[in-house]
Amino acid sequence: MIEVQDLHKSFIAKKTVVKAVDGVGFEARDGEITGLLGPNGAGKTTTLRMLYTLMKPDSGKVLVDGVDVASDPETVRRALGVLPDARGVYKRLTARENIAYFGELHGLDAATIAARTERLSRALNMEDFLDRRTEGFSQGQRTKTAIARALVHDPKNVILDEPTNGLDVMTTRGLREFLKQLRGEGRCVVFSSHIMQEVAALCDRIVIVARGQVVASGTADELRAQTGEENLEDAFVKAIGSEEGLHA
Amino acid sequence: MKSIRTLLVVMRKELRDIFRDRRTLLLALGMGPLLTPILIIGLGTLGESRARSQIEKPLELPVVGREHAPNLIAWLEGQNVVIKAPPKDIEAAIANQEEDVILRIGADFPRQWRKSLPAPLEIIQDSTRQDAQIPGKRLQALLSSYGGQAGSLRLLARGVSPGTATAIQIRHTDLATPEAQRGRMLSFILPYFLIISAFLGGAALILDATAGERERQSLEPLLATPAPRGAIVSGKIAAACLLALSSLLLTLLAFKLGALLSPTVGRQMEVSFTAIAQLLLILVPMVFIGTTLLTYLAASAKSMKEAQSHMTWLMLLPMLPTIVLIVNPVKTQLWQFAVPFLAQNQLILKVVRGEVITAQQWAVYLGAGFGLAAILWFAATRRYQQEQLAISG
Repeated sequence: MIEVQDLHKSFIAKKTVVKAVDGVGFEARDGEITGLLGPNGAGKTTTLRMLYTLMKPDSGKVLVDGVDVASDPETVRRALGVLPDARGVYKRLTARENIAYFGELHGLDAATIAARTERLSRALNMEDFLDRRTEGFSQGQRTKTAIARALVHDPKNVILDEPTNGLDVMTTRGLREFLKQLRGEGRCVVFSSHIMQEVAALCDRIVIVARGQVVASGTADELRAQTGEENLEDAFVKAIGSEEGLHA
Repeated sequence: MKSIRTLLVVMRKELRDIFRDRRTLLLALGMGPLLTPILIIGLGTLGESRARSQIEKPLELPVVGREHAPNLIAWLEGQNVVIKAPPKDIEAAIANQEEDVILRIGADFPRQWRKSLPAPLEIIQDSTRQDAQIPGKRLQALLSSYGGQAGSLRLLARGVSPGTATAIQIRHTDLATPEAQRGRMLSFILPYFLIISAFLGGAALILDATAGERERQSLEPLLATPAPRGAIVSGKIAAACLLALSSLLLTLLAFKLGALLSPTVGRQMEVSFTAIAQLLLILVPMVFIGTTLLTYLAASAKSMKEAQSHMTWLMLLPMLPTIVLIVNPVKTQLWQFAVPFLAQNQLILKVVRGEVITAQQWAVYLGAGFGLAAILWFAATRRYQQEQLAISG
């Protein structure tokens, strides 16, 4: 369960203040997939970075399983599995070693790491390349490795920043099934995307972000009702006020 | 406890990472041990043979106005000097380095000589030319010896003991001995090599593990784990220090081997295992100072390229004290052992010359060295707490 209340964050770039996030608030429940939908530069990545404690909000509050991110970031990090926008893997280590490294950083013992790696590699279908060095991996193989290493500590909450970026159709389908599986296990899944169709196909709840603000949120039906549009695509366009980001 | 665990996990991973990068490892670990002894022993041998040949081989001396002092010329020829005809343009010959030193005998030399008055001689050389120093000194020594002999004979002819005119007796020790020549070369080059291989020995690893990791976009996921950031960066520093120390140890052992093979170096320098242990102790703080400083700089760099461009001035830094000492030589004082680079320089020379380092000097040195390393380490860990650091690209 992740609660986000009225987040603000601005940066100073060349003496002008850029408000990246300007009042974002939503709730992501356990056993649901929550999609953060918005065009490029809407503030999705910055919002997520504040969720996984990498940035401090200027104001506002984030609670993960009831724990305030600002007061106890370490407990929050233990409860979170994060696939950031930056998903580099160590290319001289095998996929298995990449996963194990993060398991060790979480303080897990070798037996637990081995068992979790087995399970994740089955679920993500990565048995073929698990023991290969990641140098020369395809985008899909790298993303899978990064996801497996983010989930090795079996977190209750999962945050993924544009997980399907750069993946082919088959890999994307596999990844969607995996996210549904996580939901089925009762986890709270938050992911961001700029592709409307993807969010529509997968999410229980959609939060539409534009210009650093939440412009609409709810289930697909609620969004259609709010905007008075029959078609979800039209609802999205109406919400963000432009056709930008409609297509991949 | 958890921090120590994280530190070890990170250190093991970084070492495993670099051990799989064979070429980088070979350069980081092999260059120092291979290059340093070759350079030092090679330069030492070269310097020695050059100095010896300048001292022992006949001195070729162009003389202007040799007809004014045939006796002197004859005497010089008896002293391993080959008299040559002078060049047309004396100044140009010196400037073009065609001649090292030229002797000019004044026209009134015979007249003054006959009157038993000081007869004028002129030595022409360029004192800033290293190569001309030994020939110049040889000529000077020969001439004063000739003057002394002639003077003594004159006094004897007048029934006066030559000792009366010699109020003081100066014994001149020629500094241009082969040992001193090589010693000077070594005192410049050896500390620099050892200091720089300690100072920057961990550079390859630490730049890759900080700026490189950020550029390859794996820093953000790493910092999103609950592992304490101070421990993460300390683990990286520890791995780099371990690599630098191994490289240093290999360099020193290679040096020992070189000294065994080349008697000229072994004769003049202290390269026992005790000396090697002392050198290692001197350089340990340098390893920590260099690695933590690099971590601090690389953590603030926007890219790997920016981080690497720091190397240029860092390479020059260890040379500063040597240059300052050449321009402004100072006697050893206790405060010097607290100044980085200068302290290492002085201590290494002490060890190599077989001098004793007092307990007080050790205490000041190790205290200051590890103190500075601790400050830099703290600064580097602070950098890793900053928000901007994790955000790559």
